[in-house]
Formats: sequence, structure tokens, C-alpha cells
Amino acid sequence: MVTPHPNHKPPEHGIHLMTDTIKLDINGKAFTLAAEPRVTLLDALREHLGLTGTKKGCDQGQCGACTVHLDGERVLACLTLAAQAEGKAVTTIEGLAGEDGTLHAVQAAFLEHDAFQCGYCTPGQIMSAVACIREGHAGSDAEIREYMSGNLCRCGAYPHIVAAVRQAAEAVR
Amino acid sequence: MKPFTYSRAASLDESRTATTVAGAALLAGGTSLLDLAKCGVTEPEQVVDITRLDGLDTIQASSEGARFGALARMSRVAAHADVLANFPAVAQSLSLAASAQLRNMATLGGNLMQRTRCGYFRDPRAFPNCNKRNPGSGCAALGGVTRNHAVLGTSEACIASYPGDLATVLVAFDAVVHLGERAVPADDFFLLPGDTPDVEHPIQPGEVITAISIPGSAAAKRSTYLKVRDRQSYEFAAASAAVGLELEADGRTIRDLRVALGGVASKPWRSRAVEAELIGKSLTEEAVCAASWRAVDGAVPHGDNAYKIELAPRVVARAILSLGGLA
Amino acid sequence: MTPLDMPMKHGDAGDGASIGQRLSRHDGKLKITGSADYALERQFEHAAYAVLVPATIGAGRVVSVDTAAALAAGAILVLTPEDDLGLAQATTFTGQRPEGAFLPLPHEIRFDGQSVALVVAESLEAATEAARRIKVTYEAAPVTASLVQTPEDAGTVGEQFNVAWGDAQAAYADAPVKIEADYHTPREYHAAMEPHGLIAKWDGDRLTVWQPSQWVHAMARNYSDWFGIPMEDVRVVSPYVGGGFGSKGFNYGWEALVPAAARRLGRPVKLALSRPQNFNLYGGRASTRQTLKLGATKDGMLQSILLTGASETSTYGVWPEQVGAATPLMYGTPNYRGQQRIVQVNTVTPGALRGPGKAPSAFGIESAMDELAYAVGVDPLEIRLRNQPDHDRMSNKPWSTRRLREALTEGAAAFGWDKRPMAPRSMRDGHQLIGWGVATGTFPVIRNYGEAEIRVTAEGRVEVVSGATDIGQGTYTVLAQTAADAFGVPVDEVSVRLGDSSLPGSPVAGGSKLAGVMTGAVHKAATAAREELIGLALTHPDSPFHGIEANTLELKGGRLTPPRADAPNVTVAELLRAIGRDGLTVRRDTLPEDMQSPEERKRAWTTMTTAQGPTVGDYSQHSWCAHFAEVRVDEDFGTVRVSRIVSAFDCGLLYNPKLVESQWQGGIIMGIGMALFEEGLVDARNGRVVNNNLGDYLVPTNADVPEIQVISVGIPDTNASLLGGKGVGEVGIVGVAPAIANAVFHATGKRVRDLPITLEKLI
Repeated sequence: MVTPHPNHKPPEHGIHLMTDTIKLDINGKAFTLAAEPRVTLLDALREHLGLTGTKKGCDQGQCGACTVHLDGERVLACLTLAAQAEGKAVTTIEGLAGEDGTLHAVQAAFLEHDAFQCGYCTPGQIMSAVACIREGHAGSDAEIREYMSGNLCRCGAYPHIVAAVRQAAEAVR
Repeated sequence: MKPFTYSRAASLDESRTATTVAGAALLAGGTSLLDLAKCGVTEPEQVVDITRLDGLDTIQASSEGARFGALARMSRVAAHADVLANFPAVAQSLSLAASAQLRNMATLGGNLMQRTRCGYFRDPRAFPNCNKRNPGSGCAALGGVTRNHAVLGTSEACIASYPGDLATVLVAFDAVVHLGERAVPADDFFLLPGDTPDVEHPIQPGEVITAISIPGSAAAKRSTYLKVRDRQSYEFAAASAAVGLELEADGRTIRDLRVALGGVASKPWRSRAVEAELIGKSLTEEAVCAASWRAVDGAVPHGDNAYKIELAPRVVARAILSLGGLA
Repeated sequence: MTPLDMPMKHGDAGDGASIGQRLSRHDGKLKITGSADYALERQFEHAAYAVLVPATIGAGRVVSVDTAAALAAGAILVLTPEDDLGLAQATTFTGQRPEGAFLPLPHEIRFDGQSVALVVAESLEAATEAARRIKVTYEAAPVTASLVQTPEDAGTVGEQFNVAWGDAQAAYADAPVKIEADYHTPREYHAAMEPHGLIAKWDGDRLTVWQPSQWVHAMARNYSDWFGIPMEDVRVVSPYVGGGFGSKGFNYGWEALVPAAARRLGRPVKLALSRPQNFNLYGGRASTRQTLKLGATKDGMLQSILLTGASETSTYGVWPEQVGAATPLMYGTPNYRGQQRIVQVNTVTPGALRGPGKAPSAFGIESAMDELAYAVGVDPLEIRLRNQPDHDRMSNKPWSTRRLREALTEGAAAFGWDKRPMAPRSMRDGHQLIGWGVATGTFPVIRNYGEAEIRVTAEGRVEVVSGATDIGQGTYTVLAQTAADAFGVPVDEVSVRLGDSSLPGSPVAGGSKLAGVMTGAVHKAATAAREELIGLALTHPDSPFHGIEANTLELKGGRLTPPRADAPNVTVAELLRAIGRDGLTVRRDTLPEDMQSPEERKRAWTTMTTAQGPTVGDYSQHSWCAHFAEVRVDEDFGTVRVSRIVSAFDCGLLYNPKLVESQWQGGIIMGIGMALFEEGLVDARNGRVVNNNLGDYLVPTNADVPEIQVISVGIPDTNASLLGGKGVGEVGIVGVAPAIANAVFHATGKRVRDLPITLEKLI
């Protein structure tokens, strides 16, 4: 938010430097990882914790493949530092189904409507869809399309994604 | 990204102090900062996360005016009933920006600090010449691919366009950016590139955006944000218009009009010429279309972006006419 | 005599319960739960991370690479043009192997973004930052950035693309109605959501590579050639692929650097390209231009087609984007001449992108036919119906199946085409001008050979094992269906293993042939397994069927039953237990007798030399489609939104209509991108693709896509494949862009002949 002023020295107090240990709450489980502050939440999940369900499509906030929930809201893990997620509940695709493996209504609808092909954007689509419904943005096909537009799908499963979100929204309602 | 330290400011004062530190950058959502750090455009040594500061995410709006904390998130403001009722253009500009995920992350203060999408600015390795990044190094965009570059407010040093949506609305409605004690009119918060395109805001070390306020007005209450782009969604504007309209009791005569352009200028572009041309006149399609051309007074094309000079007035005209029930 | 030697055929072929059904995706649950393990997600304890350093000039030479700052920033290895990696040239898909050493980091720079170094570090962050700190000194040379910078007569004529019959020049000169127009398509990109890359790991002299791949066998051969090790010692693993669209079929030179680095470091090395590198380091669809001349009678009967075209390629490789690929097939003109030039520019070598050749070709001829329709005042649907050819004039063979007429008429009925006013600008809704357009498309049936293994487990489950890959088109699903039917078990008793070069051979998952080839191979293997099992059931002394008066058994629903009701009825598992077997494994291939040698098998699985084109044999074989598009164009802003699409397809038998419809829709949606958004913007000064990211290279979002209705008008074509399917994946995109362009003309009266149809072309 600011252009740093070159003539100032670091302050002697006031700034709390964090260590390179990051504590994360992911899908209800506590994780501690040793990672530099520059590690994004996306790379922490995929490269440090082996949670590869969250996908890296662009790493620039332009595709939505890395969508996860932070305290229940959809965000992009590629533009979130892992350290930023400390103290917040992270939910990824791995944490969406029930403990007994029961699929979330959105997952079941994606399978039924064939709302994916290669599957690479799919976890992000599903996480986005769950939030879209929760936000109340699944009231019409047009609204679903707009509020799901932050998730690109190059295979072109969009019409089936809309059908799946519509059905899941009705099931949740 | 270069290695950096990460810390959380415990107070507003701490975040102010951080702005005086060489190599420190405030993280107010991160959607711009991390993006630009990955591009190599910014190389912070200290990232100071201010998103957990208390009390900076308030959202208040009424017919009297609006005040948004700098850390209010875009999605929250966009969905706020009082904002929708009293400042529809604000809500629309936020809803039409980026994607649902990014709007959940980005804050209004961070959004104001969003930088240009100029592909040459964003690619330091391939294009070292950029007066915005390296003052005096030249402008690689001149003579390059310029479809999304500015036609208004450019200089020989820089033709980058300002990409944001919200700020276009803010300048239309005389919003004020609060830097703690100091208040800067939104129009003055964005600087023309001139000879110093690297200096984008009049913000000083030790200053942090704390709030944005907008005076209430009949025009703000009857306002719209019209965004035209190639894709239906998830794209910056080819041209956009923030417009507010107030009619006299006769329902025809224009008492107040606010017009600002986005996507076509080096900064959010208030079109006072269009306003002046129409205020006091009767709202007719003919008058509006004729006056809307004043929106591109002084516009200069650069290669591929000449279409914006044709497009912008049409966007302005449509926005005014739709508010007046004529489109 | 063993059961395998028994000549008789046992019972009926599979009951067909599964093929043709709308089954959900076999691998679907893994993909919706995040547990499908894509190649680049394989985790290793001590993997190092690699990042490529791109050249920032479009042509010239690397003079020196300064690695000091990178090493200071944490690089543990930097490979530069100075490194002798000891690699040899690899055999290409044509089966030719160039002589000499292979240099993945040549000093000579031929295109912007070409790799000049590979940087390896302990973490992805460190490698990324260290790569940024590499300093390269260049000697720059002049750049030819793209096709649009070259004159009409640039390049060389590709003689192999010359097509001619009749006297096209004379017929054109004599034609009462003439249309002449130039069409242009820009550089387009695959933009698969999963980036390219690989993980390489050595175990002694054996190499394993995890890599998103449309063809693991060819890649295994490629690595074995590069590194001079036997192909048996290379394994390429690609269980799931996050989209390919033609980009993941062959190796790219920079991929050799990763195993080279892994060998030097003695540990696994992982490289995943950044999104910008996914635009710069492998080629998309080449930019094309074409001039079409149509000569016709006054009632729109074609007399002549003259096509001269050009496409760009790199300065070091030839990839022709055949602008004449569809042109001679679509209409019954008595005279035709087509020619294409190939023009070298400073780009990475272009490659195959969904509907290669056919998509830009159809944009030309299907736009031109619309222009002809308006020149003669004949409805665009009617002029297409009038000019349908009765046979393939190019090969002089009959069509195997060509139900394009049905596609046109049934698509038109579903769309409501009969309500279309002919005049442009005759439909509007407020500020939106509405237009309807039609165009057709085609893609050839390509046949090839495949190999598959069927493993019957002690529990009576069936496992299909093949090295073929599933890039989202549904290989897992249709092979499970095929095996279920041919063997005689419910489809949920079948599991499928794919995407591993140590598994049975397969052609590339590209050219819309894999399903046809591999269902054939799996059907053959599963049928053989079934016959072997039934043979054992009838002849094994411990079998409950031993000695019954029957020479066949029925195997259905996982149970073996004899013709007589009073005889025993057992499950596959019970039979295997009774005869003391813990399973059964049968491998079959579809190679002819004279191609069974190890050399021939390797050629079949690792080159394209055994592929058979559409006119090999007695027929000309193709998939066909007709697209009907409705657009809404804002008359002030020039923005085009597609509001409705109906498409009818002849792709023969559909193995799984649910999955096929998904692929058709996907092709159509990519066609919307081609029509309205997609264009690599090239800086004329250095040839850099400046919109090399998904925020600036626009692909359709959900909000850009309307309701899409797809209709099948096909009938089984058993010339095309064993079960009667034709290709479905490629054809969907072909013809979409001209259907939309024609609709834009109908809406606005403006004919846009250069894609994409962006707003500045309409205001």
C-alpha cells in the first residue's frame, strides 16, 4: 500500500517478526510447517503438506483452480501467504466430504452431471460452488454463471457445472 | 519472490511506522502485493500484514454519506444493503470487479493502491524499460501492443491505464481518501503520470489509508457503473463509466450529473466537461450523445487503442440514458 | 490342447449392457474429492525444484550466462548453454532419428522465451528467485515476429498439401457468381488448466518420469533416445492429465534438462512451468491466412474453389497448420485447387491444438459459403444442403458414413432456423442486435493399433491395463464399459489402470482416435479372456462344468451359466477357486500378423507411422457436425455474446453419450473462445507473446457460455472402428467460429474475416 521511503532504517520496536514456523488449521486438523514467510498457502498445501487436491493453474489469481475456504469464505490460495492463514480455518477439497466418505451435495451433483472432464479445475470449482450457494448467489442460472466465473474450465464443462450447482443449491435449500 | 519477513501490525501506529521502513510493504489483502511480487515488480523485504487490525473494516452508508474502513473487503461492501440503496454505483463497481474469490480477499484500501495492468510494466525481465518501475528508463509500451493502454491523461513517459473500477466511482462522487488525519479528495489521490509515472499517489511515508468517505447526494443514490469488456466476466474494463444523475422536479431537466471514466485513462477520469455540458439541459438522447463526446476531449490514441476513443463516449451516453430511463 | 488353442468361439459376444449407456465418469470420484494423483503431484522426500530461465530476445545468440547471483540466492545447480549434457537426438513421431548430439540449451536463440538456463534449488521459492537472478548477455539479431509481418509470398509451398481436381482457374473465371475474400486466424493457445512439467527420478541407470502426457510410450522412447538408455529402463507415468488439447503429446526439448539435473544431483527434480511459460515454451495453434475464391452458379451451386493459404512455423521446426484441411471435403465442387505456404517466424514451433488445420480451414470455407449465400440470395442452410457432395472428390472414394445432411436438418429444426429472416440487422432486442448463423465442420477418422491386458482377479473382478492416457475425454470409463460388456461382468466390477509406459502399448491420446483404437484392443483382450475362462470351465477336471454336455457357456453379470437350466451356475470367483486358479491374465493387440516383431511393435507404440488416414481402405471416413449459433451484439459497444447454440453431430456410435456430450460442449466452448477472445498478442519488436497469462489471453468464462444443445445423428460406422464409433473430441470446435462469425454478420451486416471478433472490429 505504500512506496517505501528509502531514507528510513528499520524500527527498533513495534514490528513483530514472525518465525519460519507456521501453524495451520486445515480441515479441522492442526499442522505445523517449517516454511519461509514467502511460501503461499497454495504451495504450503501442495509442496509441504501433500494436500494436492488444491490445484495450481496459474499462480497469478487468474484461474480459480486454487480456491479454498478461509473461515468459510472462498479465497485464492495462490495469492494468500500461508502465514496469513494462521489462526483461521482452512478448508480444502480433501475436507469437504463427510468423515465416512459421504460426498458433499455439490460433489455428488458434479459427478451426476459430468461437470468436469480432465478434473484439474474441479476441486476449485467445487469449493467455489459450495461458497456460491452459501453466499446466496445460486438463485438463477445467470447468477450461477456470473458467480462461478472466477473458476476457469478449459475443458468447457460450464453448462454441466451450472446444472450441478443449480441442483446442489436446491438440495441444500 | 525475494525472501521477506512477515509480521502482523498490532496497531495502526505500527503500520504507519512500517511505511517509513525501506523495503517494507503493507499487506492489506495481498491480491496485488503478492501478484506484483511474483512478477518481480515489487521486491518487499518486510511484509507487514495489517488485515487483522481492529476497527478498520466498518461499512456505513446512508443518504447522508458513506464511510468505509480501509480494510473493509470488496465483497462485503458490494453486498451491503445500505450501500446498494444509497450508492448503487459503488456496489456495482465492486461486484463487477475481479472474481468472487478475489473480492473476498481484497480490501478497499488495497484496491485503491492497485497498479496498472500494462503488460510491459508487469514483465520487468523481458522489458526493463519502464518509467513507472525505473524512472528514466523509457516506456516499452510505446510502439508495443497497446490495446489496453490509456488514451487520456498519458504522457511521453507513460501510457499505462488505471485498471480499477471502484476508484472510477469514487472520483465521480467526490469521495475522500482518509490518510489518518489528512483527507485527500479521491481525484487528487491519483496522480497523472507526467514526467514521474513512478509517483502514483500523494501518500507520504508514515501515512496509511484508514478510510474512504463519500458525501451523500441524489446523484449518488441514482447512480450506475457500466463496464464494457470483451469477456462477460472476470476481466478489466475496455471502457467503463460511473454516472450519477439528479433531475429537477419536472423529471426532464438535469440538475446534477456525475461522470467518470474507467479503463481508458491513466487515472480514474472525471469528465467534468460532459457534466457541464448537460447540467441544466433537458435529458434527451440527442443531447446526451452529443455531450458524451466531451468525455474524450484531448484523447490521444496509441496504436491499438484508438477504439477506446470511439467506445468511451458510447459507454457514457448509455449509462446516462439508462439512468434517465431512456436506454 | 489347451483352452487357448481351442478354435471355437464360446457363446455370444458381450451383452452390450454397458457400451452406449450414460454412465458417470469411472474416475469421477477421485477427481471430485481431490484424490486423483496428477503426475506433478507425486511427493518425494528429497526432491529439488527446478525453474527455467527464459530468453528475453526473439533471435540471436547467448554470449554468456552469469550464475553468481543465482547461486548466492540458493541455487544448487545451474545448467547453461555451456554444459555438455551428453544427450543424443531422439526419434521424432515420423520415425526419423536425426544424427548427432541434442542440445536442449542451444546458444542460438530462435524465439522469445526460449530456455537459456535451468536453475535448481531446495525449494520452489528459492529456485524461482534464483532463476530471476540469472544474468544473460545476448547478441540480438533481427526478429520476424509473426505471420502478419510477412508478405503474401513469404515462405515455401508445402507441396504435400497441394490438392486439385478439374480446372479450378478456368471454372472460376467462367462462374457467373464469384466470391473472393481473405481470412485470418491468430496464434491460439491450449491453456490447459494443468501446467506442463515433469518430475524425474533415477534409480541407478533407470529413469522414471512423472509427466502430464497424452502419450507415455512415445515419451519413454524419447527419454531413452536422449539419455542413451534402453527403453525398458525408462518409465513415464501419467495417471491423470489436467487437459492437453494437443499440447502434451510429444516431448519438448527443455524437458531433457530435468532428468539431466536429477542425474547430476542424484535426487529427484521437479519442474512445473509458470503460466507465462505455458505460452512461450511450446507452441499453440499457428497463425494462418487464406484467400478463398468461390465460383458458383446464380442459384449457388459451386463450380470452383481456389484456396491459397499460409501458416507460420518456427525457424527450426516445421508445423503446418493446414488451412485446406476441411475445405475440399465440405462441398461438391467439380473443380478445386488448394495450396499452402509455410512461413518461418521467430516463434516456438507451433503444434496441434484441438481440431488442428480443420478449425481455421472451416473458418475460411464456412465464412465464404455464407458470403456466397448472401451473394446469390439463398438461405445459408439451403446453400449448404444444395452443395453436399455425394462422394469424396479428393480421394474418389465413397463416404463411409456422412450424415451431415441429417445434422444440418435436425440441428436446424431444433434451433428453429425456419423462422430466420434472411436480411442482416433484422432482429433486435433493445440495444442488442440478434443474429443467427450456421456452419459445418469435420474431422477425419484416424485408425491405429493398440494393446491391452485383461486381468481377472481371484475375486472375479476385471482389471483393464493399458498405457493409454485419459486427458479428460473418458478413457477410463469407456474402457471399463468395453471390458464389462466383452467379458460379461457388471461395469462396477471393472477397474482400469492407465497412463504408464510400462503397461501395454497405445497410440497418442490425440486426433480423436484413442477410444476407437483402444475399445477395439480391450474388446479383443476381454473377449479372449472370456473365452479362456469358459474354456477352462468346460475342460478343467475340477470345474463344476466339467463333463456337462455343452460346448459353450454364457458369462453374464459375472456368472457362468450353461445352456441347460439344471446345470450348475457359478460366479467367476467360484470357478477360479474350484479350479485352483488365483486369476487370469490375457494380453492382446490389434497389430496385424506382419507387425509383431519387437521393432514393429515399438514403431507402432512410439511413432505415428502406423496411423492410417481417413481414406486408407475402401472409404473416406470422417466425423461431421453442424453448428447453429445465436449471438447478441451490442450495437454501440460491439460486444458479442453467444446466447444459444445447437449443434448436431455424426460421430457414429457413442460409447458413452454422457461423456461424449461433455466433449462436444467443450469443443464448442473452445470454439466460442476462438471466435470471440483468443489471440496471442505478439510484440512486433521482439516476438514476445505479451498476453502470456490467463488474465490477458482470454478464454471463455462460465458467464460467456449459454445453453448448448447437442444432438447425435450418427449411426454405427464399423469401417471406422470395431464398435462403430468415430472421433468425438476434435470435431466439436470445427465450424464454431464461422457459425458465430456468420451470426455476427446476420446481426450487424458486418463481415469479420479475422479472428477473434473483438469489439473494435464492430464499432
